[in-house]
Amino acid sequence: MAALRAACVAAVVIGGAAASTALAAQPPQPQDEFRPVGNSPAPEQIPAAPLLIGAYVVVLGGLFAYVVGLSRRLGAVRQDVERLESEIKRRGR
Amino acid sequence: MPKWFTPAAVLCGLMFVISPLLIARAPDESSMGMVYKIYYYHMPSAWMFLLAPLVCGVSSAMFLVRGRPGDDRRAWAAAELTVLFGALTLITGPLWARRAWGTWWVWDARLTSSLVGWMIGWAYLILRRYGGPGSDKLAAGVALFGAVNVPFIFISVNYWRTIHPPTTVVPRLPVEMGLPLWFCVFAFLLLFMLLMTMRLRLEETRARLDDLYVALDE
Amino acid sequence: MSATPFGRSLWLVLRKDLTVEVRSREIAYTTLFFAASCVLVFAFALVREGRAPEGGAAGILWIAIAFAGTLALGRTFERERQSETLRALLLSPMPRPAIYVGKLLGIVALLVGTEVVLVPLVVFLFNARLFAHPFWLAGIVLGGTIGYAAVGTLFAAMLVRARSRDVLLPVLLYPVVVPVIIAGVQGTTALLQPNFDAALVRFWLLLLVTFDVVFVVLALWTFEAVMSD
Repeated sequence: MAALRAACVAAVVIGGAAASTALAAQPPQPQDEFRPVGNSPAPEQIPAAPLLIGAYVVVLGGLFAYVVGLSRRLGAVRQDVERLESEIKRRGR
Repeated sequence: MPKWFTPAAVLCGLMFVISPLLIARAPDESSMGMVYKIYYYHMPSAWMFLLAPLVCGVSSAMFLVRGRPGDDRRAWAAAELTVLFGALTLITGPLWARRAWGTWWVWDARLTSSLVGWMIGWAYLILRRYGGPGSDKLAAGVALFGAVNVPFIFISVNYWRTIHPPTTVVPRLPVEMGLPLWFCVFAFLLLFMLLMTMRLRLEETRARLDDLYVALDE
Repeated sequence: MSATPFGRSLWLVLRKDLTVEVRSREIAYTTLFFAASCVLVFAFALVREGRAPEGGAAGILWIAIAFAGTLALGRTFERERQSETLRALLLSPMPRPAIYVGKLLGIVALLVGTEVVLVPLVVFLFNARLFAHPFWLAGIVLGGTIGYAAVGTLFAAMLVRARSRDVLLPVLLYPVVVPVIIAGVQGTTALLQPNFDAALVRFWLLLLVTFDVVFVVLALWTFEAVMSD
């Protein structure tokens, strides 16, 4: 069974690699892909600064929010652990 | 938390504080001007977004084979980071695209498969939350398919005509642009490891809590 | 023909599913009706001035297949769950891969049966000249169906004992099979182009085959690993 599993995993890896090479051998033909055509102003007219600053605010803000959320979750669980540990100690007496 | 955690966290924080200064000093790009500098955060986010599902997939495979809870916790942590860094990538990308390509989004191979990879991360988290008992193994199965999607995301830009920059851009960067980029990549990588450690600690503490509840009932 | 345990088990599982289905025809009819309703709803929704748009045929066909497939998967494994037959199969000395492939072929057969009605319906409603290149069409449709069913069978089997399994199947399945659906849609669209380009269709077909191979192999390994309890 372990040999079968190993063979399967190897087949997937080789299959993936073969897929990449097969795709490389077939030059992709021009595809008419669906691209949303909006009344978008010409790129030069869109100011870059708000986009740039917005992007950095989003990243830093998002990372900060995640770290804070994670600390909170960790703190809450640690509190519960301490509570239960003292409870068990109390009952143990 | 391990001993290296606090110094690493301080270092990481400093790096993130310094990074905007380094990025501001980098030159503008010839065709895109200033807005390309979103790339200094977009690309490291994207690399973490590709790294996380691979970690999740490998951990899931190990969990299915060995059955150790540590592997499962690592997979869950990595899935959360997939969603986190995926969100950052999928927000910063369109902000850049709006200026560089004139459109927020295109349905090309890389963006579509990135969106798909992000959704697989969400699916993993939803399954863990609502799937009931046994969902750890089920989620591990899903994670394998998410991991297989990653190489597809990465190579797709080279094989399909798409307006997204191909992977040849990074190795050919001039030094003034390369240095801030690698600085940010290192900062993000460090952050990735710190977040994984914190998230793993959360899961381990939760497991300890479960054990305590069981002990209390006895 | 020397029937190996694998081949014999596979045939047993497949024959059981087909027999049950032929006798009741419950899943076949409901799936077919649902798929046809999907196509009609889309047709009505997109009608402009009494005519359905011609460019929508490929997308609508594959959406109908995807939705109907989810229904078929859910119902098939619900049936297994009610009689606990899946557990019985897993407890038997049958090789696990044979169980998976047997169920997979059953689902593929069910979906192909649905598509036999669905494709002419789409051709009729959207004036889509899909039958101009029947072999390419068969290849694309079969390739997409197998890829979809490969992941769907695995996930549906995995979810048999999970909570909220009805809603979780689409949540888990759709993101993973999106590449297959896209390739199917693009391939079908390529078939509908006025200047037919065989190389383009071949490209999408090759991509579908690649997905099928990768997904089936991965699903075989995962089925083995997840279903051993």
